[in-house]
Amino acid sequence: MRGARRGSRAGRGQTRDAPGEAGGLWSALAAPGLLWLVLLFVVPFYAILALAMGRLDPIFATPVPVWNPVEWDPAALQGVFSDLFGDGALRVVMVRTFLYVFSAVVLSLLIGYPVAYYISRHGGRAKVLLLVLLIAPFWISYLMRMLAWVNLLQDEGYVNRVLMTIGLLDRPRDWLGGSSLTVVLGLTYGYIPFLILPLYAALDRIDKSVLEAARDLGASSFSAFLRVTLPLSRQGILAGSVIILLPMFGDYYTPDLLSGAPRTSMIGNQIDFFVHTSSGGGQKGASLVIVLSLLVSVLMVYYLLTVARAAREARS
Amino acid sequence: MIRHPRDRHSWNRAMSRREMIRLTGGAALSAAVLAACGGDDGGGSGTGLRIASPSDPATLPIPDDNAPIESGLEPEAGPLKIYNWDEYIWPKVVKEFAAEHGVDFEISTFYNMNEAVAKIKTGQVDFDVFFPTIDVVPKLAAAKLIQPLNHSYIPNLDKNVWPELADPWYDKGSRYTVPYTVYTTGIAWRTDMVDDDIAALDNPYDIFWDPRYRGKVGIYDSYRDAMNMVLLRNGITDINTDDPKDIELVKRDLVDMADKTSVRTTINGAYAKLPEGDFAIHQSWSGDIVAAPYYFPESNYGDPKGLLRFWWPENGKGEIGNDTIAIPKAAKNPVLAHLFLDFMLQNQEAIDNFSWVGYQPPIKAIDPDKLVKQQYVVPNLKEAIVRKEYFDSGYKALTLPPDVDAMWQDAWSDFKSGA
Amino acid sequence: MSEATAPRARDLPAAPPLARRAWEWLANPWGRPRFLALWTWVYMAWSILPVLIAIQFSFNAGRSRSTWQGFSLRWYVDDPDLSLLNDPTLRDAMMQSLRLALLTMLIATPIGVALALGLARWRGRGASAGNFLMLFPLVTPEIVMGSALFFTFVFLFKFVHLGTTAQVLGHVTFSISYVVIVVRGRLFAIGKEYEEAARDLGASPLQALRMVLLPMLAPAVFAALMIVFAISIDDFVISAFLSSGQKSETVPILIYSTARAAPTPALNAVASVMLGASILAIAIAIIVQRRFQKREGRRRSDAVESFARLEI
Repeated sequence: MRGARRGSRAGRGQTRDAPGEAGGLWSALAAPGLLWLVLLFVVPFYAILALAMGRLDPIFATPVPVWNPVEWDPAALQGVFSDLFGDGALRVVMVRTFLYVFSAVVLSLLIGYPVAYYISRHGGRAKVLLLVLLIAPFWISYLMRMLAWVNLLQDEGYVNRVLMTIGLLDRPRDWLGGSSLTVVLGLTYGYIPFLILPLYAALDRIDKSVLEAARDLGASSFSAFLRVTLPLSRQGILAGSVIILLPMFGDYYTPDLLSGAPRTSMIGNQIDFFVHTSSGGGQKGASLVIVLSLLVSVLMVYYLLTVARAAREARS
Repeated sequence: MIRHPRDRHSWNRAMSRREMIRLTGGAALSAAVLAACGGDDGGGSGTGLRIASPSDPATLPIPDDNAPIESGLEPEAGPLKIYNWDEYIWPKVVKEFAAEHGVDFEISTFYNMNEAVAKIKTGQVDFDVFFPTIDVVPKLAAAKLIQPLNHSYIPNLDKNVWPELADPWYDKGSRYTVPYTVYTTGIAWRTDMVDDDIAALDNPYDIFWDPRYRGKVGIYDSYRDAMNMVLLRNGITDINTDDPKDIELVKRDLVDMADKTSVRTTINGAYAKLPEGDFAIHQSWSGDIVAAPYYFPESNYGDPKGLLRFWWPENGKGEIGNDTIAIPKAAKNPVLAHLFLDFMLQNQEAIDNFSWVGYQPPIKAIDPDKLVKQQYVVPNLKEAIVRKEYFDSGYKALTLPPDVDAMWQDAWSDFKSGA
Repeated sequence: MSEATAPRARDLPAAPPLARRAWEWLANPWGRPRFLALWTWVYMAWSILPVLIAIQFSFNAGRSRSTWQGFSLRWYVDDPDLSLLNDPTLRDAMMQSLRLALLTMLIATPIGVALALGLARWRGRGASAGNFLMLFPLVTPEIVMGSALFFTFVFLFKFVHLGTTAQVLGHVTFSISYVVIVVRGRLFAIGKEYEEAARDLGASPLQALRMVLLPMLAPAVFAALMIVFAISIDDFVISAFLSSGQKSETVPILIYSTARAAPTPALNAVASVMLGASILAIAIAIIVQRRFQKREGRRRSDAVESFARLEI
C-alpha cells in the first residue's frame, strides 16, 4: 500500500513539477549540514589516517601528519593489528572490552525491556511522569552520575551500609578496588536510558489490535508476548543495543572513575593513554582509533543492513 | 619521560624499534637535542644521544632567534596565564602577586606533562608561566617553546635558593628554568589499617606484594616512579637501567603485584584517597603526604593527622627529584612572568605556598629541623621532610634514551593492560 | 495481562504461604501487572536515587561525600576557598557549559532541521549517501571523534583555535544528527499530504515548506533544541579534547579532573545547581510549549513524547 502511494506521488511530481525546482530546494537545504559533516567529520578521519601513518617529531617523538597518501608508512598501524590478532597485551584488553560491553548490553536489555514494556503498555495515568523520570538522567551529567556511585560505593558508603544492615554482607565489600562487576554495573547504569528510549518507541508503535487478534485466536498472554510483541519489538531491541553498544566501546571514564586498576582497563583507556602521550604513543593511539572506527563501522553497517532488510520485508 | 608528582593521567606507550630508529635517525632537529644535551659524546646508551646527569651537567644553548627579554622593562597589563598541575600552587599566593601588580590571573591545569607539552606545541595557547619536569626542559628549549630567562628580574634565585639548584645539572646557569619544589618518593600508609610498622620491615617495599592488603594498595600511575620502586625493591640502584634483564624482572614483579594485591594505579591515591580510607598503603611523593592530613573528612576521626606515616630510606638512598618553572616562548606577558618567578622564590611566598601544596621549595630560609615545630609538617610525617644532602645520596631519574625508554614503556604497557 | 510473569507463578507451588501470597499479588494474572509495575518503579528509584543522594551531600557539613556530617551551606557559600560562591573555577565551568550548550543549540538546530528536510524530500543521488553519513556521528565513540577533531584543528584547520570555538564546532558536529533524527521522525509522521495539498492550492515548494511544514514541525524542532542542549551540556570527551585551559573547562571536565584529584561536596553543589537550572529551563520550555499548543489547538504531540521517541 505504501509503495502504491509513493508510485502515484512520483507520477504526479513528474507531470507537474519542473523536476529541478523542488530538487534544488531540497538539496540546497541539505547542503550546509552535509558540508559541515564532510569538513568536520569525514576530514578528521583522514587526519587520523595521516597521523597514524605519518612521521614522528624528532624532538618530542609526537606524531606529525603526512597528508600525501603515497608517503604513508603503515608500520604503526600494522604493529597494532599484529598485537591485536597475535597474542599481545592489546588483545587481552580487546577481549575484556568485548566481555564488558556485551555483559552491560545484555544486562541493560534484561533490566530495560520490562520497563519500556510496562510504560508503553500499562503506563496509564503515570505515563507522563514515568517518561519524565526516564528522561531525567539526560539532564544530569553522566560523570556526575558516576561520581554519585563512587561515593555510594565507598567502604563506609550507603551501599555497604545497607547491605550490611540487611545482612547480605558481614563486612564492607571493596567495590572500587578494581572490580569488573562494578565496571559492568557502572556501564549499565550509565547507558541504559539510551536503550530504553528507542525500545519504548518501538513497543509503543505496536498496534494493539494485533495483540488482541492473537488473544482472540487463543494465544495465552505469554505466548502472545513471545510470538507477537517480542518479534515486533526486535527492531527496537536492535536499535537500543546498537545505540549503547557503540559508544561503550570508546568509554574510558567509567572504568577510570569506578576502578582505576589495570585489570579493568578497556580499549578506550588504551586510546586515552596513547593519545595523551606526546612521545611515540600518539601514532599507536591514532592507529587504535582507526581500528575502533573500523569495528564500529562494521557493526553499524550490519545494523543498517538489518534495518533495510526489515523495511523491505515490511513492504512486500 | 619522568613522571611528576601531580601527573593526573597515565598512559603507557610502546615505541616500536622502528619508530625509535625513525626518531633518532637523521632529522636536523635531533642534532639540536644532542646539542641541547651538552657537548661531546659519552654517557647515555648506544644511540649516541647524550643524556645530562648530575655528573655530566648540560648547558642549554640560546639560539639567536630565541633571545631573553631586555632588562628594565615595565610589566605588562596581564592577565597572567599560568599552566600547572592541578592543586600544585596556592591560588592565594597568586592572588597576592596579581594584587601587587594590579593584574588578573588565570590558572589552567593539565593532567600530565605530555598533554601539556602537546598543547603548548600547538602554538594555539599563550601561557605566561609553565611548570615543566626537568626531563622535558632540554626538549622544550631545543624546540624554542620556552624562552631564556633574564636573570636581572629574578634576583631571588641566587639570593634564596639552594646553590645546587640555583645552578642545576639539567640546566646549568638556570638559563631557562628556576627550581620550584623538591621531593622524595617513598611509601605512605595508614596506621589504623596496617598492622606492620612498614619502616621496620627488612625490605619495606615488599609491602606492595602483601596479599593481606589486597584491594587497598596503590602505586602511582607513572611508569618511572612505579618501576623505579620495583628496581629498588630488588636492590637495583641504577634506576635508569638499560638492562633488558632488569626490566623483565620489573615487569614480572608488577604483574605479580597485580595478582597478589589487585594494585590500583592512581595519581591522587596518596594525598586524597589515603585520608579517605580508600587505600591503606600507597606509594607516595613526600609532598603528597605532607599535604594529606588536610584531606581527611572532618570529624570522623579523633585526631586523624596521627594516622599517617611515611617511609623513605633513612640512609638517604631512595628516589629524589625536583620541579621547575619556565616561561613559554608564546607568553604575552613575559616581564610579568619573570616577576612572578621571582615572587615564587621569595622566602615568605615560597613557604606560604609550601604550607598549602605540601611540596617543599628549595629555599635556604627553610630549616628542615624546624618544620615540625613550625607546624608545616605533622610530627609523624617528619620522614617526608627533604634535606639538601639527600640530593647527594638519593637516586635521580634521568631522561632515558629513546630505545631504553621504549623498553620501559613496553613493560609498563603490558602491566597496565592487566594481561 | 501479565504476559511475562503469569506462567511462572504456576512453577512455585511449594513456596511458603507468605512468599506465595506475595508472589501471587505481584503476578496478579487478572489485574494490572504488578510485578512489571514494581520492576519499573524500582528501576526509576535505582536511576534517580543516587543523584538525589549526591544532591543531599552537597549540603554536607564536612568534606566527606559518603558520610553525612550534618547540614550546612558550606559548599555553596560558606567555605572561603572551596565553595561555589568563592571558587571562580566552579563558576567559570558552569558558565562555559551553558555557553557551549546555548551556542550549539542555536547553530546545530537550524542546520539539522534543514538537513532533515533536505534528506527526507530530496531524491538525488547524494541523499542516500547523506542519510548514511548522518548516522555515523551518532554512534562514533566520542574518543574517536574527539581525538580526530583535536588533530584536525591542530594540524589542518589551524585557524580554528582550541577553546570555545573548537568546542562549539565539535558539539555541533555530533548534535546535527540528533536534530535530523528527531525532525525526520516527525516528518514521516506528517507525511506529504499537507504539503501536496498546499502545492495543489498553488503554493511554491518554498511557500509550502514555510507555511505548512515548518509550523507542523515545531514540536519536533522544540524537542531537538532540548536534546541538543542536553547532550551538549553532558558532553565530556569532546569538550576535554578541544579545551585550551581553564577558560574552556566545562562542568563535566571539572568533575572528571576533580574526581581524580581531591573532590569535595562543592562538586555535588555544582551538579545540583546545574540540575536545578535544567529543571527550571525544562519547566519554562514546557509551559511555553503548552501555550503554543493551546493556540494551535493540538494536544498529542508533546515534546516529552518527541524526546522519548528519539530513535535511529
